[in-house]
Amino acid sequence: MNVRIRRLGVALGVLYLLLFAQLNRVQFFGAERLQDNVNNSRGLVREFGRERGRMITADGVIVARSVEVGEPVDFVREYPEGELYAHISGYQSLNVASTGLEREFNDELAGSPIDQQFQTFADVFRDRDTTATLRLTLRHDVQEAARSALGDRNGSVVALDPRTGAIIAMWTWPSFDPNLIADPDGAAANDSYETLLADPDDPLLAKAFREVFFPGSTFKLVTASAGVESGVIGAFDPVFDVTDSYDPIPSGSPISNFAGSSCGGDLIEILRASCNTAFAEMGAEWIGPEQMVTAAEAFGFNHTPPIDLPNAAGSRFPTDFGAYLADVEFYRGAEDDPVEGDPGEGDEGEVDGGITLANGTVPVHENTARLAQASIGQNDVAATPLQMALVAAAIANEGLIMAPHVVGSQTAADGSVYDTTNPEVWRAAMSRGTAQVLHSAMINVAVNGTARNLAVPGLTVGGKTGTAQLGTDPPNSHAWIVGFAGPPGQPAEIAVAVIVEAQEGASEQTGGRVAAPIGRAVIEAYFSIN
Amino acid sequence: MTATSRRRRTRVAPAYAALKPRRVEAGLVLMVGVVIVVAYALASFGASASIPANLGPFLVWMLALLLIAHLATRRLAPGADPVMLPMALLLNGLGYVMIARLSNDVPGGSDLAGLQSTWTAVGIAAYIGTLVVVPRVRILANYRYLLGIAGMALLALPLVPTFGRQINGARIWASVGPINFQPGEFAKIALAAFFAAYLVESRELLRSRLELRDLAPIGVAWAGSLAVMVLERDLGSSLLFFTLFVVVLWVASERAMFLGIGAVLFAGGAVLAWSMFTHVQQRVDIWRDPFASPKGDGFQIVEASFALADGGLTGTGLGQGEPDRIPFVETDFIFAAIGEELGLAGSTAILMAFLVLIGSGLRVALRADRPFEKLFTVGLTTLLGVQAFIIMGGVLRVVPLTGITLPFVSYGGSSLVANYILLALLMRMSHEQRLEPVPAQS
Repeated sequence: MNVRIRRLGVALGVLYLLLFAQLNRVQFFGAERLQDNVNNSRGLVREFGRERGRMITADGVIVARSVEVGEPVDFVREYPEGELYAHISGYQSLNVASTGLEREFNDELAGSPIDQQFQTFADVFRDRDTTATLRLTLRHDVQEAARSALGDRNGSVVALDPRTGAIIAMWTWPSFDPNLIADPDGAAANDSYETLLADPDDPLLAKAFREVFFPGSTFKLVTASAGVESGVIGAFDPVFDVTDSYDPIPSGSPISNFAGSSCGGDLIEILRASCNTAFAEMGAEWIGPEQMVTAAEAFGFNHTPPIDLPNAAGSRFPTDFGAYLADVEFYRGAEDDPVEGDPGEGDEGEVDGGITLANGTVPVHENTARLAQASIGQNDVAATPLQMALVAAAIANEGLIMAPHVVGSQTAADGSVYDTTNPEVWRAAMSRGTAQVLHSAMINVAVNGTARNLAVPGLTVGGKTGTAQLGTDPPNSHAWIVGFAGPPGQPAEIAVAVIVEAQEGASEQTGGRVAAPIGRAVIEAYFSIN
Repeated sequence: MTATSRRRRTRVAPAYAALKPRRVEAGLVLMVGVVIVVAYALASFGASASIPANLGPFLVWMLALLLIAHLATRRLAPGADPVMLPMALLLNGLGYVMIARLSNDVPGGSDLAGLQSTWTAVGIAAYIGTLVVVPRVRILANYRYLLGIAGMALLALPLVPTFGRQINGARIWASVGPINFQPGEFAKIALAAFFAAYLVESRELLRSRLELRDLAPIGVAWAGSLAVMVLERDLGSSLLFFTLFVVVLWVASERAMFLGIGAVLFAGGAVLAWSMFTHVQQRVDIWRDPFASPKGDGFQIVEASFALADGGLTGTGLGQGEPDRIPFVETDFIFAAIGEELGLAGSTAILMAFLVLIGSGLRVALRADRPFEKLFTVGLTTLLGVQAFIIMGGVLRVVPLTGITLPFVSYGGSSLVANYILLALLMRMSHEQRLEPVPAQS
C-alpha cells in the first residue's frame, strides 16, 4: 500500500503546485491586467474614500478641496474658482483620468508618500492626517487681472518671478470648469467631458505651456542674444543698412518689414523698431546656424521646461539647414561681381570688394533662407507662451533661467512643511554682459519703441512686441508681448508673456496695441497699482 | 526491537526528532505564537492606526491556548509528529487574525471574532478530549458499523424536517437545541473510519478478483454522494466524500482500475448534475468566464481575483486591504482575504502549511503497521488536503467554486472543532507509530 500512498502524496503535491501556479498568475503576472479591468473599482474607491489635500494660492484662495458626498464615493473634488485655475489644478474625476496638479502631485495630495506618513517616530503610533496641502506660487489677484485683461479673446498669459521661476499667474482662454468633470454623477461628467473634447477651441488644453505658436518678433531677443554672445554684435556696432527688403542667400523670397517700411541701425535701434530686415541678415550672415541653434537651445528651445505640471510642450528651433555651400564672404563678395560669383566654381582669390563682415567665416547652407526667417521668429520656430516668458525672465535675471514651478511648498494639516520648492537654475541662456545689453535694449523698446503700452509709471519696465503673421486674406496674426518689470534700480520681480491668438491685422503695431495692455494690467496687479 | 528496525527508523526521521519531538514542537508553537500576536497587532494597527486595546488579554488568551494544546500533547501523545500541531495552530491563528480584522468591516460581523475565539477554545478542548478518549486508534475499527451509521445519520440530519436548516441555498445545517452546526463536518471523520475498517476486511478479496458485485461499494458511495449533492445542494461535500472513498479504495485494493472507475463515475455524476440543475450550470459558467457577469453571478469570484491582484507579492498589509468587498469572505473566501493583505507570500505560506500537514499525515500512513491505521490516516489526510484544495482552487478558479470551508482557517465552529478532532486522530496514530516497533515492510 505504501507505493499507492507515495503516489497519493505526489498527486496531492501536483494539485497544490497547480494552485501555486495559479496564485502566481493572479497575484503577480496577471495582477496589473486585473487591476486595470474596467469592473475593478478598488482603485477608485481607495482614491475617493478619503479627503485629499487642498490647493491654495500664495494669497490664501482655495483652488481645490475635497467635499463629502457619500454617494457613490465618500469624497469628490471641488474647485471653488471654477475655470480660473482649471489648467493648473487639473481635475480628479471618477470617470476621466486626472490632469494637472491633481495628477502630478497625486501621491502627495493623497498622503501616501512614506516621508509624509512618518514625519517623526511617534507617527508610527498615531492616526494623523498625512495629506499635503499644495501652496501655489500663483497670486489670485494677478491671475484674475490676467483673466479680465484677456477677456473673451483666445490667448494665454504667463507671469513669473525671474529670480526664482515661481509662476505668479498662468491663464489661458478658453478654459473650462473642472467641477463639471469632477461631478460624481458619471453620466453628467462624461457628457461635459465629451462636449469639451469636441470644442474646436480645445478649452481642455492648457495652451500657456502645452501649445506652441510662432513667436514672431519676440524671438528677435534670442537672435540678439546669439549675436552678442558670438561677439560679432555689440549694442552700437555694427550698424545695419536702412532698407525695406532683405534678399536671403543663397536664394529665397525677400524678407520685408511691416507695411514695406524701411529700417536699420545698431542693435538698440533695430530692437526698438523690431526691424525684420536687419535681424534676418544678422541671423543668416553674422551669426550662422551653429551659434543660432546653440543660443536658442540655451534659452530652452528643443527642450521641455521642467515645470511641475504634466505634459508640458517643448518649444522648437530648426536645426537642419541643408548642406554647406560656402562662406558668406563668397556670396556677398560675389554680389558685386556677378560674373565671377557662380557658386560651385567660385575662386576664393577673386572674392573681394564686397561689404566686409566682422564674422566673415559664417557658413552658408542650402537653406540659409530658412535661418533668416527663423531669426525673426518665423518658419519652423515655435514657442509656448511659457517659453517666451522664460526668455524675458532670462534677460531680467542676468542670463539665468530658473526652473518654472507653480507649487511653492507642501504643508501638513498642522502647518508644518513637508517640502519646499527651492529655486534651481534650469539653463544659463547667456552671459551676464549679454543680459545687460538686452536688458537696456528692452527698456528702450518700452520707453521709445513698439512696447510703449507695457510701460508703467514708477517702474522699470522692458518689453518686446511680436506679431506673428498667419495669413494676409484677411490679414491676421498672433499678437505677442514679452517683458519684465521691477522697482527702479532693483532686479525685475516679474516677467510676463502674453499671446492673443489670431487677431485681425498684421502690422508691427498689433502686438503693442493688443497684447501689451494685457501685460501691463498683470504688472500693475502684481505691484498693486490702481 | 531488532537492529534492522532501529536502522530503518533512523532513516525515516532524524534521531533527535524521534527522541525529542515535543521539544521541537515547543519551539515551533512559540514561533507560531509570536507570528499570531504580531499579526494581530499589525492588523489592528493597519485598520485604525492604533495598538489594539485588548492586546494584553488577547496575548494571554492566545498563548494560553497554544500552551495548553502543546502541554496536552506532551502528556497524551508525546511521541507524535512535532510539526502537525504547530501548522494547524498557525492556520487557525492566521484565520483568527483575519476574522477579527474582518469583524470590523463585514456587515453584522461584530461578534465574529469573539465567537471564533470561543470555537478555537472548544476546538482545542475537542483535540485534547479526542486524545484522551482514543488511546489507540484501532479501537475505532471495533465500532466500524456504528461509525458508518453515525456518519450516514449525520449526513442525513439536515434533511430531517425538525433539525435541518437551509442557509444560503445549501441544506447542510442542523439545529439541536440552541446549537447550529454542520453535521457533514463530523460525518466525514466517521465515514473515513468506516471506509478504512470496511476496506481492511474486503481488500484481500478486491485484490484477488474482480466481479460485478465487488463494484457495489463504490456504486453505493457514488449514489450517496449524488444524494448529498441533490438533496442538500452541497457540491463541495459531495465531491469530498466521493474522492475520499475512491482514494481509500485505491490504496486498499492497489488496483488503479478503481481510480478509472471512480473517474468515469465522477464524470457521469458531473454531467448528470450539470444537465439537471441550473445552479450547477451556473457554477460552471462562472468558472469558465466570471467576467461575463462581473456584477451579477460572477461578482464573488471577480472581486476575489481583484483582491488577490491588489495583494501582489507582499500584500496590502494587514488591515489595509478591502477584503470585505467579497461576499462570504470570512468563510469560503478567507483565502482571498489572506492573499490580498499578505500577498503572494502569505497565500503561499497557507499552501505550504497544508502541504506540510499532508506530508506529515502521509508519513504517518507510510509508517503505520496495520492496514486499518494506514487506510484511516490516508483517509483523514485526503480529507484535509482535498477539502483545502477544493476551496482554494475554487477561489482561484482552478476548479468550479463549491462552497466549503478552508480547514482551520475559515470562520465556523463545526469546521474548526471537526478538524481539531481530525488532527487529534492523526496525532494519536503518529504517536503510536513512534512508540511501537516498526514491523517488516508489508
